[in-house]
Amino acid sequence: MIGLRQQLVMTLILMPITFALWIAAAGLLAGPAAWLAGFILEQMYAGIVASAALNDTLFIVSVEFGNVNGKIVTATEAGHELVFEVNTQLLSYSIPFYAALLWSSKLQNPANRFALGLFALWFTMALGLIAIVMKDLMLVVGAPFLAAPGIPPGAAIALLYQFSVLLAPTLLPVLLWLTQLQGTPLWTALQQRLIRDPAA
Amino acid sequence: MLVMTKFLIIFLATLLTLFSVEMLTPVQHGVIQPFTTSLATLSSLLILPFDDGVISQGRILRDVATGFAVSIESGCNGVEAAIVLIAGVLAFPARWQQKLIAIALGFIAIQALNILRIVSLFYLGQWNYTVFEWTHLYFWPVLIMIDVLVVFAIYLKWLASVEPKALTS
Repeated sequence: MIGLRQQLVMTLILMPITFALWIAAAGLLAGPAAWLAGFILEQMYAGIVASAALNDTLFIVSVEFGNVNGKIVTATEAGHELVFEVNTQLLSYSIPFYAALLWSSKLQNPANRFALGLFALWFTMALGLIAIVMKDLMLVVGAPFLAAPGIPPGAAIALLYQFSVLLAPTLLPVLLWLTQLQGTPLWTALQQRLIRDPAA
Repeated sequence: MLVMTKFLIIFLATLLTLFSVEMLTPVQHGVIQPFTTSLATLSSLLILPFDDGVISQGRILRDVATGFAVSIESGCNGVEAAIVLIAGVLAFPARWQQKLIAIALGFIAIQALNILRIVSLFYLGQWNYTVFEWTHLYFWPVLIMIDVLVVFAIYLKWLASVEPKALTS
């Protein structure tokens, strides 16, 4: 285990490598999250979402609404489905950041830890993709979408969207990395400081 | 393990509370947007000695000659990063005076890097839009979060030096 300063320098050194790998395999890395998001959307909101699939790095969602002369109607009435495209890289850049943090820590069994972390990131990325799709539907379709059964209030969608895009991709890798430091000298030092609470 | 769990719970609760408050319309109108406007003004003031073709209009930074402009939006004003730092500092045990110093200095450190982000993006956008997009969407958010980590690490080191027995053993 190395000190936090060296750790952060190593993270910065590794980032160009992990980001380059991520650029090369961005579609592949987004796959599990896109599949999960699509599965949840198609199962939970079958009356709204017609299909959801990943095309390279774009998560493409067709919905059961259409637009006729600026008016939102059902897809059947419109004769077409509205299609939304979400850039999965807006969320998946958490993966190379997490990889750089983890691999610069010289932890035991880094591959196992990385695999566990990756599953956690895919899960949160899926929630993020759902939040983005819901935000798009709220803005484009509006009232007919919000009135559909099982749709959360607009304020909750807005908050989840902002959290998923603005905070989660950079914060979750740090939190995952922090929890995976368990048993290391840095973790022990932090724990001792927490136990010795000067404010108490 | 229990104390770490307690730290994480307090951290996440504080984070979500502050983040939700930040998103409230009155807070956006009364605090966040004026603050973001001041960031654009400060950025243009810092650029002006080197490039007199830059003006700021509200949250927009514009190059008069080319017409290129960047608008500073939510996520680009460093407020979310500051919220992460504030939540971390508040969740970590220390005296209130120490916490307030850390929050004040940490906020300045985050905003200093954020202004560098705004200025760099303003020129990168005029040079190459693809590079601007990648830097804006993926590179700078990570660097800002690392800045938060560095500030927090310096804070922990400072706490240890103030109370030497705290982090040694």
